[in-house]
Amino acid sequence: MSAKGYIALLLFVLLGFAGVWRLQERIDVQQSAVASEDDQVMLRSSKLVKGLSLEYAPLVADIYWTRVVQYFGNKHAGQQLDLRLLWPLLDVTSVLDPHLMPVYHFGSMFLSDAAPRGAGRPDLAAELLERGLKANPDEWRLYYDLGFVYYFDMKDYPKASAAFYEGSKNPKALFWMKMMAAKIATEGDSTETSNFLWQDIYNTTTDASVKENALTHLQLLRTQEDCKHIDVAADEYQKQFGRRPVRMNELVLGGLLLGEPVDPLGYPYVLSEAGKAEISAESPLKKKAAKTPGSK
Amino acid sequence: MTRVGTVALNTFREAVRDRVLYNLVFFALVMMASAILVGQISIGIEQIVIVSLGLSAISIIGLLISVFIGVGLVSKEIDKRTLYALLAKPLRRWEFILGKFAGLALTLTVNTAAMAAGLFLALFYVKHSIERADTAVLVAVYFILLKLALVVALAMLFSCFTTPLLAILFTAGLYLAGLFVHEMRGLQGGLIDPALGRLLRWVSYVLPNFENFDVMGAAAHGRIIPATLVAQNTFYAVLYCAIVLTVAAAVFSQRNLK
Repeated sequence: MSAKGYIALLLFVLLGFAGVWRLQERIDVQQSAVASEDDQVMLRSSKLVKGLSLEYAPLVADIYWTRVVQYFGNKHAGQQLDLRLLWPLLDVTSVLDPHLMPVYHFGSMFLSDAAPRGAGRPDLAAELLERGLKANPDEWRLYYDLGFVYYFDMKDYPKASAAFYEGSKNPKALFWMKMMAAKIATEGDSTETSNFLWQDIYNTTTDASVKENALTHLQLLRTQEDCKHIDVAADEYQKQFGRRPVRMNELVLGGLLLGEPVDPLGYPYVLSEAGKAEISAESPLKKKAAKTPGSK
Repeated sequence: MTRVGTVALNTFREAVRDRVLYNLVFFALVMMASAILVGQISIGIEQIVIVSLGLSAISIIGLLISVFIGVGLVSKEIDKRTLYALLAKPLRRWEFILGKFAGLALTLTVNTAAMAAGLFLALFYVKHSIERADTAVLVAVYFILLKLALVVALAMLFSCFTTPLLAILFTAGLYLAGLFVHEMRGLQGGLIDPALGRLLRWVSYVLPNFENFDVMGAAAHGRIIPATLVAQNTFYAVLYCAIVLTVAAAVFSQRNLK
């Protein structure tokens, strides 16, 4: 073939692939319309999948786990709340490879977080973790995760305390788990405990998204505490002046606050029509608070 | 074009002589058995099972034929030395490649059409009727045919410059990779290095996207498949096949057959 022939061939191939690229973008649009309703797990029976996987069950489990992450990630990115396939996928994955720890750790997070962050099924998260503990009784981290789910998502403080206590029996467990078990058993829900748990996650996790989530919770916990203090000052103002304050600087001028308080992102708090402190609508934390129901 | 047609027709005849179409017997047995059994082992999803099973069987049988026969189209002619006799005639090498491709595409069309007829018979047996929504099944069959044409083109390209075994592996590997291009693009969301993400995105558009032709779920549930998608997928398959066959013809033209 001559040089001209080669150039013509190269041009044809390049132009052809450019055409393929453009066409693919259009097909993607059409395909998404057809496939959007196609979310399904064809094989929901974990036993059947395990049988079909022959000796390759761990490999198939890895593939299923990748699918879980992709499924959750895509739903999250698309702001879609319907996560009903999360459990079947996790169920199959954990049966295929009962020792795949990320399945329990991250899977329980995906399941337990309230919508729109997660599937809002802490009961299934607890079931998944119990299953993990049955297969991996030496993994104290799973007790930690279980205690976390019971404490934050199910508000079942006796079970949370029991989970932390069971985990603390493992010599490798975090030293404070026994103390946490006692504290939760005595006090139940407390901001101090919540703060401690989220701070620990923030300090120990290596996953960027989990770290960001922990930071959001810590920031929201601080706003809750700040708002409580401002409300106390507002109550005092009402006692002194016979009316609720309308603006924050009234509390400052009244000598009840040293300066206008700001949230962890630096946005000043505002007072609602009822004279209660709240996060400013301009603060990004406002949106995060809306996405984190019952954040503590 | 007459020469291309002659090669195509002879390739089809050869496939028939080689008993390639015997797979239809196997397909018929599978469809008959499933049509009879499905009513007894499932409730409410008979149609879905029949369509899914039928389309899967058409796809798998077609893929096996495409890869194994597609790879042998060129290499067998070289091994048997029949190619020399052919090329001694007024037949250009690109005409040979195009004719071989057209011949196998014709074989696959006949094979797929027969299997589709079997699928519709089984569907009729289960449902006792054929509805307008069942055209989605026909579209799915057509998409499988487009996919098979693309696989044949790839198999022929690889067989032009490597051994049959490697050509089979390359074709199968590319087919599998082509089923995950969507995942490749999905990996960009902060999970991996941005540069790698951009590279994967680029690769995902260059790889043959076999996911385009997967409408099995929609067909099984009787959902309408947009006509635009049919046109786009047709154009995609034609364009991609043209690129691959052009490269295959160029490679084959340069090959030293001594």
